[in-house]
Amino acid sequence: MFYRLSGTYHTSYEADRKLWKIPTDRWLVVAVLLLALLAPLYVSPLYLGSYVLPWVIWSAAALSLTLLMGLAGQLHFGFAAVMAIGAYASIHLVRFGVPFELALLLSGLIAAVIGAVFGGAALRVKGLYLVMATLAMQYLVDWVVVNVPAISGGAHATLRTPAVSFLFMPVESLAARYWLALGWAVLLTVFFMNVKRTSFGRALVAIRDKDFAAAVIGVDPFKTKLMAFFTSSFMGGVTGAILAFCFYRAVTPEQFGFNVSIQLVAMVLVGGLGSVIGSWLGAGFVLLAPIFLTNLVSGLAAAGWVPVSQNFLSHLPLMIYGAMIIGFLLLEPLGLAKIYDNIRKYFLVWPFRHARS
Amino acid sequence: MAYFLELLISGALTGLMYSLVALGFVLIYKSAGVPNLAQGALVMTAGYAVWLVMAWGLNVWIAIPIAAAIMFGFGLVVERLLLRRMVGQPVIMVVMLTLGLEILLRGLVPGVLGSTPKPIDLGIDFAPIIIGDVFINRTSLYGGIVALLLVGASLLFFRTRLGTKLRAVSDDHVSSWAVGISVERAIGISWGLAGIAAVVAGALWGSSQGVDWTLSTLLFPAVAVVILGGVDSVPGVVVGGILVGVLGTVIPGYLDSVAGGSTRDVVTSLIILLTIMVRPFGIFGREDIERI
Amino acid sequence: MTFLRKLALTTALVAGLSAPVAAEDIKFGLLQDFTAVYTFVTGQYNQGQQDYLALANAEGILGEGNSVTAIVRDTGNQPQRGIEAYNRAKEEGAVLFDFLSTPVSAAILDQAQADKNVVITPAHGRGDASDGTVFPYVFPMMPTYWAQAANLIEHMKNNGGLQGKKIAIVHIDSPFGREPGPILQALSEQEGFEFQAFPYASPGNEQSAAWSEVRRYRPDYVLIWGAGGGQAVSVKTAIQNGIRPEQIHSVIWLAETDAANVGPAMKGVKRFEATAAGTDHAIIQRIQEKVIDAGKGSGDQANVGTSYYNLGVATMAVAVEAARLGLEGGQPLTGDTLKAGFEKIAGYDAEGLMPAVTYTAEDHQGGGAGRVSEWDGEKWVPVSDWHAAYPDLIRQVIEKSAAEYKAGH
Repeated sequence: MFYRLSGTYHTSYEADRKLWKIPTDRWLVVAVLLLALLAPLYVSPLYLGSYVLPWVIWSAAALSLTLLMGLAGQLHFGFAAVMAIGAYASIHLVRFGVPFELALLLSGLIAAVIGAVFGGAALRVKGLYLVMATLAMQYLVDWVVVNVPAISGGAHATLRTPAVSFLFMPVESLAARYWLALGWAVLLTVFFMNVKRTSFGRALVAIRDKDFAAAVIGVDPFKTKLMAFFTSSFMGGVTGAILAFCFYRAVTPEQFGFNVSIQLVAMVLVGGLGSVIGSWLGAGFVLLAPIFLTNLVSGLAAAGWVPVSQNFLSHLPLMIYGAMIIGFLLLEPLGLAKIYDNIRKYFLVWPFRHARS
Repeated sequence: MAYFLELLISGALTGLMYSLVALGFVLIYKSAGVPNLAQGALVMTAGYAVWLVMAWGLNVWIAIPIAAAIMFGFGLVVERLLLRRMVGQPVIMVVMLTLGLEILLRGLVPGVLGSTPKPIDLGIDFAPIIIGDVFINRTSLYGGIVALLLVGASLLFFRTRLGTKLRAVSDDHVSSWAVGISVERAIGISWGLAGIAAVVAGALWGSSQGVDWTLSTLLFPAVAVVILGGVDSVPGVVVGGILVGVLGTVIPGYLDSVAGGSTRDVVTSLIILLTIMVRPFGIFGREDIERI
Repeated sequence: MTFLRKLALTTALVAGLSAPVAAEDIKFGLLQDFTAVYTFVTGQYNQGQQDYLALANAEGILGEGNSVTAIVRDTGNQPQRGIEAYNRAKEEGAVLFDFLSTPVSAAILDQAQADKNVVITPAHGRGDASDGTVFPYVFPMMPTYWAQAANLIEHMKNNGGLQGKKIAIVHIDSPFGREPGPILQALSEQEGFEFQAFPYASPGNEQSAAWSEVRRYRPDYVLIWGAGGGQAVSVKTAIQNGIRPEQIHSVIWLAETDAANVGPAMKGVKRFEATAAGTDHAIIQRIQEKVIDAGKGSGDQANVGTSYYNLGVATMAVAVEAARLGLEGGQPLTGDTLKAGFEKIAGYDAEGLMPAVTYTAEDHQGGGAGRVSEWDGEKWVPVSDWHAAYPDLIRQVIEKSAAEYKAGH
């Protein structure tokens, strides 16, 4: 009723290959996109600056990572390091005099090249060993950033982003920074939805499902895995640069530590591996849930409803965050994307009960 | 030369202390095939447990067995409630689940018991053992000996009836089921044993640096140890530990003042990377043969 | 966009619960790291801050009808959570912020300057923020790490001399650990000593390689520059390597918890302190009487009088004094009036809890005075008087670094 059809029945291959198989989905996306574009007009600076903006940027990061983890099945526990390379490269390039637009691309390329080198480990191992190898990469990059003052920015290891403009729009006001970040995130989203329908995307999926089998049907695992790391690191590198210029505007090594890598993996998993909507929902959930919990708990404490120590209160969000990761993995391993899908299917055929996707 | 010797010895002993953390990881991986990235947090929890029991006014040597009993039970509970439901799931799910457990413990334990560093006094003399110009730290010496004893005990344990069952389980879950071994129980016991190993590690590391959440950061060197030694090899823990400790002490001992920064983490990272590139299953690990 | 609606609802709930009580309620945002890197200090520090604010309210220090409320949040040392907490506290009307986290402070500094909100960075953050001409709204308030290093060096000079001596600086491998470097470099030329740096890997639970090397360097004095559990490991490993406790000099981050951890061997170790420890001070006595005994304390009573507790008390004593002076003009308290209040503070010593501080439009460090104290087995005993060491040199370093910041770095 809500979707004005009783399920999806395709009569041609074109219809089945469509990005939006149901018109209502398309209108929903257009509506959300419009709402997102106009957000600076109706969302207060508090929410735009500290909720919506980081959500959009981290969604882009989660999309970059889920290309690797969800589509190509290559685990990566050092993705924050990739973003750090992009962030630091972009700042140094802009300071060197490279125009911002070009610096974004170049920083993505630098991150992609270094990321692909580390992805080399993936050519040899997979699963747990790949987790460990990328973890080691995280520590190596951290060390280089902290120990080379020329990269990290001298005594205080804080690097401020220079004033820049993107296509003649100064990246200064909150709205401008938000639009730039949104533009990048939307671009990644569109890319991600379409890459699944290309030969490259199908090669990635084949590698994920079984790399030996993929080799048998003519997909070169060597090339495809490297391409996966390269593409994903490029996206991650540019996202890191966007994060530096649009959100933090002063970069320190701690912003790209190991715990950030874990957060990114949590976003991808809680959202649902390899899902576009899951990346958005997962990023929002993992990023904002601790913040909401902190505020809620502090609010309750201020009202005197939870008579416990400050120490316990401040650790409570951490506990709930850990418990939520565990809970998702145990109860809904397919993540928020699956929950969204269930709801959508319910409404697809409402008031009846059963649906085909 | 004395300098080199001293670095060598203190490195080997420190490495054996890392082995204590790594042992729990290997025990679980060997029987359940589960990479337990929460082992660092288990060590932290165990350190807090020892401190808590001591706070009841008990002597440390009584507190450690009690804490070991608590942690054994805790390991059983974790396995029963969380890991048993992950059987057959992809490795990424298990890895993330143990990381979720790590986050949970890092919130819960310091949140309830307090986050300022807690002391554990094992009564070990401060004065070093001096041989020529070589100083040997007593805490790490005893830690190293305990690590060797514990690994030896684990090896013996795998020769007992129960240990044989555990080895069978590590070989093949389905076949073990078929011959009537309770796979669930075996895996549960391996978690309990990892809890006991964590108590020893927590007490020793806690006595040297104090008990707080930073104990969970011991996971990183422990990971290097298990990767180098082989994720499913108990003797590998000793050899891997000594190698990681020696390389991570001798190389920084000569390089740090030149490099102007601590190179230990770089050495540890490179050990992980090189092992994975050259011999992914480690020195003693069993190579996985993958079927299509 | 049900999400946004939910968000608005939650906010309404939270805002409604923590709505202002008094009409002239001043808010301080104590948005600190309770769960990550700074856990070793934050608990006691924040407890001292909250207890002092309770005392200020009980005594009506800010004048009739005025009260001060703390907005306390955990940031977990994560910049993005710090930014959110800052923006929210700003919305709730906070005029002063204390993050007690270098990365969070770094991420917010520019924004807070643009918003004209006062940020205090006692014992953390950028040392060059002491230059009030470049950082008009940032108050390091207490001796920077540079001033601390200079103070310790001067203590060595007065107790054993420096000419021809050797100093080993054993530090955590992070920007914080490298901070005393430039001061040691400058002073070694001036005072004729040599020094060498020995870094150890973060978080410092294992430092044997560094100390084996230190022992062979045969230092006359040792400076340890770390924080948290790593400090206890430093002291222990030093003593095990035959270094006498009297030779060890620590940055401000060495306190009672570390002493409990090291045990009796700690006796004789020296540290820099910016505020006195112990309960034997007028302010701490009154807190005990009017806040703790009245059941209004914010934490474990055993913490009262510890070094970090007193540090927290001192920060809020200065901040409340600044607020009081800022309100004198009869205008409501904003970032600007609070800044003016800070710059009116002259010779304030929190009734003997800390050295007398004077802030000017140029000097936001307040002179940089501190002292050295020694652990006598039970408590910290001062072994020097409150004073600022090498103030001209420190000022020079501050101005040079601030000028670089101004140039966009």
